[in-house]
Amino acid sequence: MLEGLFYLLVFPGLGFQITCGLAFEWVDRKLLARFQRRVGPRWYQPLADLIKLFSKEDLLPTGASDSIATILPLVSLAAVLTAGLYIPMAGFTPFSFEGDLIVILFLMSVPTLAYYLAGMASVGIYSILGGARSLLQYFSYEVPLLLALSGPAILSGSWSVADIMASQAELGPFILYQPVGFGLAVAGLIGKLKRDPLDIPKATSEVVAGSLTEFTGTKLAFWHLVMDVQAVVGIFLLINLYFGVPAVYSPWLAVLIFVGEALLMTFVLSATSAVFARLRIDQLAGLGWRILVPLGLAQLLFVIFMGV
Amino acid sequence: MTKTTIPIGPQHPLLKEPISLNIDISGEDVLGGSLRIGYVHRGIERLAQERTYVQNVHLIERICGICSHVHTTTYCYAVESLLGVEIPVRAQYIRALMCELERIHSHLLWFGILAKHVGLEMVFMHSWHNREIVLDIMEALSGGRVIHAANQIGGVRFDLDAEREAMVRNMLHKLEEQVGGVLDGIVHETSIRARTRGVAPITAEQIRQYCVVGPVARASGVDVDMRRDDPLPPYDRLDFNVITHQDGDAWARTMVRVEETRESLKLCEMILDQMPGGPVTTRVSRKVPAGETVVRSEAPRGEVFYYLRSVGSDHPARLKIRTPTLAALSLIPVQLSEIQVADIPVVLAGIDLCIACADR
Repeated sequence: MLEGLFYLLVFPGLGFQITCGLAFEWVDRKLLARFQRRVGPRWYQPLADLIKLFSKEDLLPTGASDSIATILPLVSLAAVLTAGLYIPMAGFTPFSFEGDLIVILFLMSVPTLAYYLAGMASVGIYSILGGARSLLQYFSYEVPLLLALSGPAILSGSWSVADIMASQAELGPFILYQPVGFGLAVAGLIGKLKRDPLDIPKATSEVVAGSLTEFTGTKLAFWHLVMDVQAVVGIFLLINLYFGVPAVYSPWLAVLIFVGEALLMTFVLSATSAVFARLRIDQLAGLGWRILVPLGLAQLLFVIFMGV
Repeated sequence: MTKTTIPIGPQHPLLKEPISLNIDISGEDVLGGSLRIGYVHRGIERLAQERTYVQNVHLIERICGICSHVHTTTYCYAVESLLGVEIPVRAQYIRALMCELERIHSHLLWFGILAKHVGLEMVFMHSWHNREIVLDIMEALSGGRVIHAANQIGGVRFDLDAEREAMVRNMLHKLEEQVGGVLDGIVHETSIRARTRGVAPITAEQIRQYCVVGPVARASGVDVDMRRDDPLPPYDRLDFNVITHQDGDAWARTMVRVEETRESLKLCEMILDQMPGGPVTTRVSRKVPAGETVVRSEAPRGEVFYYLRSVGSDHPARLKIRTPTLAALSLIPVQLSEIQVADIPVVLAGIDLCIACADR
């Protein structure tokens, strides 16, 4: 009982993931700032922003449903936190079971749906545009992402993230076997996180802040938490599927390697968001279905027939 | 899908200055739009009639926050032509140097805005970082970063000694090195190209029909540049290329401004090389003889037109200013069709709006 509560609330649950989320946001913002020749925020800035948002007045436009607007970010946060529970942290896997990869992917899609509903529920015209865009974007990135992520699963013969990770200790990191799949997965993750260059649903110059335009205060703070935790869960998932943790004798060394891999992934995400301009939604759909999906299929066929 | 109207402005993250656009959309497609302006009308033309010619220099400098110098330059040349005064050649060169620096400053600012609108903040930051160098040069010259107070009727208010000239040359070299990287980045970055190429093309006929001038006109192949067509001194003695492009889309507008920035950098060097010695002011009378005149000059956004009528007192009887943005604004509703919602920022950026100039 006590152990279960510890897992849920401290590690690898709520406390750990929110800390990681805020740390990710800081590293990301700092890196982005350095790319842009800015100084960037102090380490506590994401937490300070969060506290500030929690203390702000909570407003919604007339006609928007307060209960729906409250439930959506909470459900999203619960979904991504639950997804995070099933992901092995440097080999530590308390809840692993066969097929948890599929559960994680399902849970990570919940925020996208909630984001769409949030746009529709908060009646503003920019919110509705942003919400519609987020669904359009979902159909473009989700298929290549799923195609890519099934590669490591087929290669290791298991749909459990822990088993996929463990099999890389013998076979070597799967990124060496499936570099194309890794690229697709990163592209899909960027789309899922709505980060530049795929921040189409919340493009400031086009739709103000997308679905979240009308959100303020505590609800907005929860949305920010959702985005941060979703990002770290996505990063942890990808490093488990593509890098693994090599068999080392010291668990601390494994933790260090894991953190290093996570920082590397953060760097990849920050660098991509720094150097590309935002795509148009039709360009994204074209990219997704004309380039990424065929590449994903080719990668999948390669994995199935070659058995490597 | 049904037709919806989205309001852009008077306040919107996209806009730096207030205009109001009501854009009809259906899903992601833009069907059309209407435009309302006049939010920053300050009655400057009327105010100018209340003040003396000398006081007006200060008023006119405040028309625009970016091209403030070219406005006073044009005004001063207009007053001087009514006075029948020719200012010293050195003063002409200093005025032109400030004009070219202002063009670089304005274009660098514009690259940043375009990059921000297409979601590439890195170019925005780097471009504006370089813009700081230009502002520093202007500050070193005149003492002001944005409002330079460089002009007075009959000359300019500061002179360059050898030490400051060397300093300006050094800063220009530094700027040239750094800006080259940013400009190359803009030219070669495929994602900028993907967002601007083929977006909202304007034909040369439309340009003539709507009297559009400046980089927007040159991007559509209309070869107009007041620096060459109706040059104020010393542009008749300077050798430069007028950049034109044939495509007329947002990409062409970007390319024209990239090349113009390079050309202006060369012009700055040329002006410093050619600049003769001598005084920078002449004494002029406070009362201006009766008469009327028209002076045109090339601001960063295109032709600035000044009409000035005097009745022999120390106040102008009428001052009419035509700025390039007003004509370009009339093209916005034309461009707002057959594009997507995501192209609206690119269309608005492409014109390089200066609402303060247009509304006055």
